[in-house]
Amino acid sequence: MTGLFAVAGLLFTLFSSISARANADDDLWQVLQKTAVAAHALSYQGIFYYQAGTQSKPIQITHMFNGQGEFARNVVLDNTPREVFSQGGDLTIFNPKNENVVIEKRHGQNMFPAILPTNLDLIKQSYSLRAGEPDRVAGRAAQMLFLDSKDSFRYSYRFWVDAQYGLLLKSVMLNSRNEIIESIVFNQLGLMDTVDLDWFQPKIDSKKTYVMEDEVAIIADNGVSVGWSLKGLPAGFRKVDQMIRMVHGKSLPVTHLIFSDGLASVSLFIEPLSKSIKPRAGRKLVGSTSFYASVSNGYQITVVGEVPEATVAQMANAVVFKK
Amino acid sequence: MIEQISALLDDEIALEDAAHLISAVLKNKDAAQAWSQYHFIGDAMRGNAVLSQQFKQNLMQKIEMEPTVLSPNAALVSEVSIVKHANKLPASWAIAASFAAVMVVGFMLLNQQTHSGNELAPTEVARADVSQDAAADEGIPAEYLNAHQASAPSASAYYIQTVSY
Repeated sequence: MTGLFAVAGLLFTLFSSISARANADDDLWQVLQKTAVAAHALSYQGIFYYQAGTQSKPIQITHMFNGQGEFARNVVLDNTPREVFSQGGDLTIFNPKNENVVIEKRHGQNMFPAILPTNLDLIKQSYSLRAGEPDRVAGRAAQMLFLDSKDSFRYSYRFWVDAQYGLLLKSVMLNSRNEIIESIVFNQLGLMDTVDLDWFQPKIDSKKTYVMEDEVAIIADNGVSVGWSLKGLPAGFRKVDQMIRMVHGKSLPVTHLIFSDGLASVSLFIEPLSKSIKPRAGRKLVGSTSFYASVSNGYQITVVGEVPEATVAQMANAVVFKK
Repeated sequence: MIEQISALLDDEIALEDAAHLISAVLKNKDAAQAWSQYHFIGDAMRGNAVLSQQFKQNLMQKIEMEPTVLSPNAALVSEVSIVKHANKLPASWAIAASFAAVMVVGFMLLNQQTHSGNELAPTEVARADVSQDAAADEGIPAEYLNAHQASAPSASAYYIQTVSY
């Protein structure tokens, strides 16, 4: 009788542990989903360190969601006081250069701690998620998560997320040799309970002249009527944008395609060679950014992105010219 | 003074109390500078259309690089107008008149160049020598890195000074 109970108990434990594992997997993605949303939906203020290679910068962040919109100010605290303002996806950067402050307009919605997209489907294709040990970051209880690349086309990440609010407290990017190539970590963080926006303005230096960055001509490109197509792109990368732009030092416009796997972005440039352009071929890795250039059918192909070298090489070779 | 001008633009000082500030802006060069800078920064933050402050400067530079000999008619017009009004107008007006005439020529030349550039046959230039591993010696070419970061910014693009030319 006791034996029967023991067997039943064992079976029960076995089944529940299997279903618990499946649930745990879903639960982990739920944790990451909460993290992705928390960065946009919470109001917080703190200081984090950005570190890559020899560069290390302390950055003060103020982020507010007031129910209608999302506002953030990022101030680089060391050396030149660079300030980045975001309102939704619109960015205004105040970048001191000599006697000027250059104002740059950008678009982006992946500033730390909001580095994850709110839709994780693309990430699930290319990365696997597993739980790490509980830890502490910036004086707060944190859950550690491993987001491992399923292949060699992208880097892996370790995330520390706030156990209570889900906010990303620390993010580390690793290459295939498990070496840290970029880390961003809060060392002070607090939630804000105000909807006052008086902090959302640049610190103006009356001794400097404020100038707009030179506008770069960009034309939207629907991708029709081109002499090339893409075959055999690295797995998991999806085209998110295509445009025709002027590139500094080039007299002819360049076709610019942007690919993303949900976390990493890669730019592919295609331009017809002309007498004024010195053809270029080669590869280079600087920090987390890879570069690859090749010439094919009278076109210069250039690929740049925060991915391993194999990815930019395969992307360049994916451009096939129509006969 | 500068703080007060900032406060006025933020509606923290009532317009009726700001007569002294307005007159300062009209008379004082520093105050006028602050006034236009604050407006410029405000426009940039709100996402209003802002004409580059270097627009005129850039244009003049481009024009200076262009030979004007290709357009004898336009040059003639500006010469005539300068000669005709030279005695009546202050020097800056004469410069403005020639600037306007040259501007048109400059734009036309720029357009012509862009068109002629497109006609180059890719097959003809494909034979040019490819500089192997040029990239390895020079690091990542700034023009591509900047274009990538401008359209697909990553953490380093946000916090680290981008390469300048």
